[in-house]
Amino acid sequence: MKKKALKTVLVVTVLFFLFIQLYPVVWLFLASLKPSVELATKPFALPDAPTLQNYLDIFNEGNVFRYMWNSLKVTVISIILIVALSSTAGFALSKFRFRITKPIYAFFTFGIMIPVQITLIPLFCFYSQMGILNSSFTLILPQVGFALPLSVMMFVSFYSFVPNELIEAAVMDGCSTYGIFARIVFPLARNTVITIGSMYCILIWNDFIFANTFITDNKAKTVALGLRDYVGAFGNVNWGMTFAAIAITILPPMLVYFALNKYVTAGMTMGATKG
Amino acid sequence: MKGILKDKKAFLIFLLPALVFYLFSVFYPIAESIRFSFIKWGGLGEKKFVGLQNYIHLFQDKVFYTAFWNNLVYLVIVVGMQILIGLLLAVLLTYLTKGVAFIKTLYYVPCIITAVAVTQLFRSMYATQPEGIINQILKAVGLGQFATSWLTNIKTVLVCVSIPEGWRYTGMYMVIFYAALISLDPEICEAARIDGANGWQTLIRVKLPMIKEVLLLTLTMVLTGALRGFDIPFILTNGGPGNVSELMSTYMYKKAFAGNQFGYGSTIAVFIIAESILVVCVLKVLFTGKDEREERRIQKEQRKMRKLERRSGR
Repeated sequence: MKKKALKTVLVVTVLFFLFIQLYPVVWLFLASLKPSVELATKPFALPDAPTLQNYLDIFNEGNVFRYMWNSLKVTVISIILIVALSSTAGFALSKFRFRITKPIYAFFTFGIMIPVQITLIPLFCFYSQMGILNSSFTLILPQVGFALPLSVMMFVSFYSFVPNELIEAAVMDGCSTYGIFARIVFPLARNTVITIGSMYCILIWNDFIFANTFITDNKAKTVALGLRDYVGAFGNVNWGMTFAAIAITILPPMLVYFALNKYVTAGMTMGATKG
Repeated sequence: MKGILKDKKAFLIFLLPALVFYLFSVFYPIAESIRFSFIKWGGLGEKKFVGLQNYIHLFQDKVFYTAFWNNLVYLVIVVGMQILIGLLLAVLLTYLTKGVAFIKTLYYVPCIITAVAVTQLFRSMYATQPEGIINQILKAVGLGQFATSWLTNIKTVLVCVSIPEGWRYTGMYMVIFYAALISLDPEICEAARIDGANGWQTLIRVKLPMIKEVLLLTLTMVLTGALRGFDIPFILTNGGPGNVSELMSTYMYKKAFAGNQFGYGSTIAVFIIAESILVVCVLKVLFTGKDEREERRIQKEQRKMRKLERRSGR
């Protein structure tokens, strides 16, 4: 009897926190279906007359697609670079017999401690001297740089499971070092690639700090910056449009997450437990 | 991780691109920041070397102290929410039998939403015009006198900018703790139970010490994350009203990009990085128990001995 009561308390607590975690997100989608008048008078009730007006407004204005295109460009290029650079460096650091690999590996992992804020001022000065503020490159450079420590670590830890005998056998068969990487080791690392790709896809898509520093031009704005732009008459935030825009722009990371959630959680937990 | 390949040229071809990229995007800025922290520069015109003047100014700057203390409050709230609630939920989940995967998936949702969206959400909850949900609830349960303008009230604003950050990542830490807890050998807990430990004792005396490593690592992550906290406070209040909710990194940002004091801004950035590294080191020392240190010392001695033997053998 007592056990049953405990169990009920347990379930209720878990559900209560689940409600707190999810309510704001669910509410966001509901709110995006409300006409602006209703948002102003009773923002937290269920919508009386659900409308897609906010979404139509967003589509008509069209900016959100440019923001998403900009974010997509940065995200895709960064991920390709992250995977290319860290899979090769990880290979170099785990499958070569040189004394220097250990200190270099330590050097990479040191980067996990570095706060990104430290790069803002120097990179801003560097970019403005070169006249390349507002380009996608300004975001890709630090995104990739700060992703490298963790992703190199993940590749090294995966490669350590690839038996050296396998590589020895390939060498015997006359496979070149590059061939070993391209035909044997890298194809085996498929899961690591998906983990890193899905995790950084979400993180880079959501980035605010770099975009806010290096992007000022409306044409180059990414999603995170664009969401602050929906201002109605009298300079107030147009909440209806803002919520609709948020709902649209969080869909891509949501899709990635729900499709690949095992990989995403694996990546982020790894990021935590290896930090 | 001992490798077997010995091709030097290939090694460099595999390693150098990443290394160069990493050096340029992470270490060049660090070096530049340190250099900037010794100069006075308004963005345009001449850079003037001023020695330690920026650092002296930093330790006399009242706003910096405010930001520092605010950052500590922010840190306590964020750590409290993420570690304590995360741990509590993880422990609760281990007692559940059904639907764990489903619940885990949903708990995680807030951390895949961009900070801007999280902030806008909370802004509308804290709002007074139209009345946000927090005030509505307070009024509905008869606590209307506590309803306030959360983000302009100087007593509440700091807590209000901290909560969204804590909320956002609680699910992530829960997933981490949960993974650590269920990877424990069930036989050990069983043994504790047979020895007469109740659930609470098993948790405190057996399970938590066994996931010490994970606790250390997450604590490091949360602490350094909180020290560099930026997005949500910056978007929500930008340190205001006045400097009441200023954090170190929002202050740095303001000085550099709104005040054009790139030198002084860099000084604050250098302070933040030094503090982060310090915290990591302190945590490492605190969590490395006496036994482990002893063990490591013995290992070191043994290695030395072996080296000596080898040398004398030759």
